[in-house]
Amino acid sequence: MQLRFRQRRQRITAAGVAVVAMALTLAACSSSSTTTASSSTSSPAAGSTSSSAAKLSGTLNGSGSTFQTVYQQTAISSFKSVQPNMTVNYGSGGSGKGRTDLSSGVVNFAGSDSPIPSSEMANFKGKTVLYFPVFLGPITVSYNLSGVTGLKLDSTVLAEIFSGKITTWNNSAIAALNSGVKLPSTAITTAVRSDSSGTTQNFSLYLETAAKSDWTLGSSSTIKWPSTARAGNGNPGVAQIIKTTPGAIGYVDYADAKASGLSFASVKNSSGSYVAPSPQAASAAGNGITVDSNLTFHAVDSPEPTAYPITYQSWVLVYEKQPNANDAAMLKAYIGYLVGDGQSLLGNLGYAPLPSSLQQKTQAQLSKITG
Amino acid sequence: MSTITQVDPAVPAGSTHPLERRRPLGDRTFAIIALASGLLVLVILVLIAVTTTQQSASWFSAEGLKIFTNNWDPSANQFGALAFIYGTAITGVIALIMAVPVSVGIALLLTEVVPYRWSRPIVYVVDLLAVVPSVVWGLWGILVFAPWLNHIYAHIGSAVTGIPVLGSLFGPPTSGASFFTAGIILAFMITPIVTSLSREVIATVPAIDREGAYALGATRWEMIRGAVLPHSQGGIVGAVLLGLGRAMGETIAVALVIGSSPVITSHLFAPGYNMPAVIANQFGEATGVFRAGLMGIGVLLFVFTIIINVIARGIVERNARRKRGA
Amino acid sequence: MTTATAEPQQVDLHEAKGWRRTKNRIMTTLMVIAFVVVLVPLGFVLVTVIAKGASVISWSFLTGGPIPPIVVPAGVGGMGPAVLGTIEITALATVMAVPLGILGAIYLNEYGGRNWLAALIGFMSDVMTGVPSIIMGLFIFTIWVLHFGLSGLAGAFALACLMLPIVIRSSYEMLRLVPNSLREGSYALGATKARVTVTVVLPAAIGGIVSGALLAVARAAGETAPLLFCIGAAASANPNVFSGANTALPSQIFANANQPYTGAQDRGWGAALTLIAICFILMIVARLVTSRFARYSR
Repeated sequence: MQLRFRQRRQRITAAGVAVVAMALTLAACSSSSTTTASSSTSSPAAGSTSSSAAKLSGTLNGSGSTFQTVYQQTAISSFKSVQPNMTVNYGSGGSGKGRTDLSSGVVNFAGSDSPIPSSEMANFKGKTVLYFPVFLGPITVSYNLSGVTGLKLDSTVLAEIFSGKITTWNNSAIAALNSGVKLPSTAITTAVRSDSSGTTQNFSLYLETAAKSDWTLGSSSTIKWPSTARAGNGNPGVAQIIKTTPGAIGYVDYADAKASGLSFASVKNSSGSYVAPSPQAASAAGNGITVDSNLTFHAVDSPEPTAYPITYQSWVLVYEKQPNANDAAMLKAYIGYLVGDGQSLLGNLGYAPLPSSLQQKTQAQLSKITG
Repeated sequence: MSTITQVDPAVPAGSTHPLERRRPLGDRTFAIIALASGLLVLVILVLIAVTTTQQSASWFSAEGLKIFTNNWDPSANQFGALAFIYGTAITGVIALIMAVPVSVGIALLLTEVVPYRWSRPIVYVVDLLAVVPSVVWGLWGILVFAPWLNHIYAHIGSAVTGIPVLGSLFGPPTSGASFFTAGIILAFMITPIVTSLSREVIATVPAIDREGAYALGATRWEMIRGAVLPHSQGGIVGAVLLGLGRAMGETIAVALVIGSSPVITSHLFAPGYNMPAVIANQFGEATGVFRAGLMGIGVLLFVFTIIINVIARGIVERNARRKRGA
Repeated sequence: MTTATAEPQQVDLHEAKGWRRTKNRIMTTLMVIAFVVVLVPLGFVLVTVIAKGASVISWSFLTGGPIPPIVVPAGVGGMGPAVLGTIEITALATVMAVPLGILGAIYLNEYGGRNWLAALIGFMSDVMTGVPSIIMGLFIFTIWVLHFGLSGLAGAFALACLMLPIVIRSSYEMLRLVPNSLREGSYALGATKARVTVTVVLPAAIGGIVSGALLAVARAAGETAPLLFCIGAAASANPNVFSGANTALPSQIFANANQPYTGAQDRGWGAALTLIAICFILMIVARLVTSRFARYSR
């Protein structure tokens, strides 16, 4: 009897040891293959890896801004003909996700429509992050109001709509800007982002800058909207809400709004003219910006007369110091493409390319990536 | 007369104790491997519990009991999760209200009404519901079903505005992506499970009870009410609770159709949010206390589903044991 | 003096009349309606997916790649990377979960008997089937992805965690059905326990076990939540399941579900049709295996 108990205990211990041993061997095997969290497993290139014009191989992972999704995917696909042995993956998810993934080391580069806010700086543990602007584009104010086209709005009215002070379409403030247009008495449903978004951040920044005291909700990637607001995931989510809800109005980036067939409002810019969103108007906004030394800037509420006032921008964020030379070379090649030859793809996609002075400064910053 | 020595091949020569049969090495190794595999389940479960609790510790300590307030505002560092708990409860209840009568009805249909050779095709059809992946339910839900439902909701909403109870339940605001849509899709998804479990439970009703009821002149429905249901109600309750557990944990389909709106409202046609959906939608971009908060919501979800599963299995076991032992 | 015996009861041999019969009919009709109610959404989903997805499906869609940008209309590129990803990630998860699950079930049924450990493991295994799949994804993200990066392997781990309790439970039920007489006969012939289990019990139950495993595979192939944070998003095929971001059909469907571009939506429906077809085929094969090879079934 005693023997059986001892046998059983021995067996359980042996099994426990076996399980622990299996786990340890598994951990040891996998840790010997990758030492960094960066998933660019570098198989040595056939040629030399010292010059960036040589054929590079490996994988780059990126995620972030949904504003950049279309451009990233198109650029990745045409980049294949420039560097056939490199694989680049872009996972979207929103500017917040991109910054988070970059700080946790899950991706090599992040797409973000706004600079890293102070609340997130700690996540980057003091490492320098470089900003590479890639394009500009309009944030449309899209709406769903049957029978009404060519709606005109200004920053004050927008601030009041989105903070819930104006609740019906036939409000006198809206009517004042749109003389001659018959506005129905439908209730206004505001469509906003539910996820952390650079689009939200720039839209609220515009309201804060242009509407000043009329806008009290601040400027951030997530805003505490009034409870009557309907939230959607990603720019396409907001577009879908607007499309399916009569009386809805919301902020959607130009490419998604156009693809969803939404009507956009013309917004009054700082020179007093009502401008409709378009890549040309966004380019004009780019001409009026002041750029910081780290290449961050704000394109909203530009002083240019023909500019669309709610124009925003997007950056690719990378660490200045890369874990190895191959990563640095690949990033230089890909980001160089995004801000160089790839800019010719932007016109078809509904984005505005970088103004040439900014493009030169961006290309010069590429040399700062070291590995 | 020569002595015939019994040679036991299983007892190695060096063994000292006469009663001890040392099993061959292969046999013992196999037993140990089998035990280790069984233990793996425990190890994984414990690891999951430990890891998620550890990751969410900062949320629990930062918010304390405030996690049960309706105040989810990441930009202001507020992480009260009541809206999500409410959403999980509401969608679960809606799903149950719709799925249980249907599932029990089908289970009774299969066991009592249809002849055996028709039961196989019916079971196939019900299992087909289970084969549809959850993401396809979500895709169909948000692109086809929700817009279609939106029209219906709008009509119902305008019809009941002003009526006391109905108005606050079904009145505007209405949206295709809402609590109710999520509840309906969850009902579709849990029907196969509840049906098959109920069928098993109902099948354990002894024939003698059924025959006895018929012998007393009962109609089929009276027999069901008098012999089948009282006997199997415990098991059916268990099956229903398991379905509820599954409904509460369903992530992707709900994330796509629930509307992403953390509110507590009685309007079932309004957009809402629930626990797994917020994790799926917001985890990617969360850091610090926000991420810990989402992990913590995961922990709460884990705990809720475990509690429901434990209760459910307890009820099913007790019911089965009572009937078996009787 | 009154008679002690009562008069013999009149036995009514007629069928129930009136309200009782009507109620019976109503209830039967309701049960049939319950079944029809199930047919409606099922039909709706299948018809929609087939109608919208069939026009996109072609050999180049299933095997071609890379996955084009969302703006590109259907017809360019294909979902080949996602199909490959689903196959390799699910296969890896199956290779990990099924043998371990069967071994675990063997422990529970053959070696565990009534002891407390077996009861605990069985109970925990049931509890684990109820754990939401997103928790598995978060778990693997925390202990694996944050240290070793995104990969198909991480996704496979998460799916294996999901499959393991299902395989254990179904294998256990199948092993239990094997009659004890088989085992006892083998013991009587002098076989050791391992030998009996592997050469007698397992082959007797293999039909049911394989069928249960196939259903678990079908479930894993359709899961999205565990993969959300573990595999990333690759646009081109990644045959190396152990390293590098990957993609899978459910992830692509999820990504395309909200897109306004018709090309992306078409590809989403095509991927949905492919996924349903895969799960459906697995289910059919599972049922065939049960009916042809399962010697003992309920």
